[in-house]
Amino acid sequence: MSKETKLDQPASAPILEVRGLQKSFGSIEVLKDISFSVTQGNVVTVIGPSGSGKSTLLRCASFLETANGGDILYDGEYALKDGVYAEKKDLNRFRTRFGMVFQNFNLFPHYSVMKNICEPPMLRGCGKEEARERAAQLLQKMGLEGKEDAYPCQLSGGQQQRVAIARALALEPEILYFDEPTSALDPELTGEVLKVIRQLAADRMTMVVVTHEMAFARAVSHRVVFMADGCIVEEGSPEQVFEDPRQDRTKQFLSNYTK
Amino acid sequence: MSLMTMIAKMSEGLEKTCAIFFLTLLFAIPLGMIVALLRMSKNKIISGIVRFFITVLRGTPLMLQLLAVTYGPHYLFGADISRNKLIPVVIAFSINYAAYFAEIYRGGIESIPKGQYEAAAVLGYSRLQTFMRIILPQVVKRILPSMTNEVITLVKDTSIAFAVSYEEIFTIGKQIANSQTSFMPFVVAGVFYYLFNFVVDRIMGLFEKRLNYYS
Repeated sequence: MSKETKLDQPASAPILEVRGLQKSFGSIEVLKDISFSVTQGNVVTVIGPSGSGKSTLLRCASFLETANGGDILYDGEYALKDGVYAEKKDLNRFRTRFGMVFQNFNLFPHYSVMKNICEPPMLRGCGKEEARERAAQLLQKMGLEGKEDAYPCQLSGGQQQRVAIARALALEPEILYFDEPTSALDPELTGEVLKVIRQLAADRMTMVVVTHEMAFARAVSHRVVFMADGCIVEEGSPEQVFEDPRQDRTKQFLSNYTK
Repeated sequence: MSLMTMIAKMSEGLEKTCAIFFLTLLFAIPLGMIVALLRMSKNKIISGIVRFFITVLRGTPLMLQLLAVTYGPHYLFGADISRNKLIPVVIAFSINYAAYFAEIYRGGIESIPKGQYEAAAVLGYSRLQTFMRIILPQVVKRILPSMTNEVITLVKDTSIAFAVSYEEIFTIGKQIANSQTSFMPFVVAGVFYYLFNFVVDRIMGLFEKRLNYYS
């Protein structure tokens, strides 16, 4: 450990750590005792049948849903401890550490592409010139040069999703969450979005991707988490989970994809 | 009385008709937003009370509400606020229209997808920023056609002020009609309201067009 390492952020602490996370909607238990962590530069894909709690897990990690129990830690700091959330100002601080890409993009339709990307950093005190410059770089990286002044409704779904990724990256998050980023897209557009995510993985971006794209999950992730009925059934390297799944539930699920 | 004199006399009421119209919009547009937000309050008591008032304001005639506001204080407290009739007229109209606007706003706000709030939350927008920057501009676009309807109705409703003898165009027209035993003043009033609404329709159309840059 180098001398520069801050004491309150041990270098060993994972960026995101979830312990014993529980979430119920009414009497339905959606997450039962979920524990997993993501370290710097890793890509974790979460796979599993619909209704298994994959999205809810991301939504709890990003504070869009209120968990009922367990811990959530960012860089070793508690955002949620034993089902109790940190104070609002601390949660806002944690919010700066993650970005989220939604299934339905959720771009702001009344804003141009540029404003969609620039406004959030500017609200956090970033200068206009800097924000615009960074946005332009990100758009180039996303293959969207020249779309600065377009409105979301003028773009294809794949382009909209890439703008959404750029918008999330503009805040320079430590970790990026993807909630089924290609589920609203046809196969052709899916390809262009997955390509961008692959590129981010190559750049060592830390990511958690909930997806139904098995080939992508296998190619891009360091670890694969298989969820069913609110539990993590199996977790391991992509080779292990896809080629040699240990649990029957995993085998049964994966068999749907190999027909 | 020649048609020209009639038109000239009735035009004297134009200022008052416009006063009712613009002042009502000035107060009812923001008041409606407050009512809408209270109506959507998570507090069941607040939303229940507001809901009740909305049903009363939408469920009883505006003319009755106008009479209540104008003469109610006199009967209840012996207070006479009816010297300048514009005040009770604008109060009654503003409250009544705020109730209608509130329900239009509520429909607009509730039609915005939940994902917009979620994206804003993750991107660090505060609740106020989310409402002012993300939700409200989209609501304005969605409710504009319904608002055009209400504004056009308001133009015609200004004539209800005749019930308290506030001398706007219709009241003057009715006075002339009575003294001259002629139907002509009503025709003049009708043409006037039509022209007023023609302009309103055009202006609202311009607003809609300006917001057409996205869909």
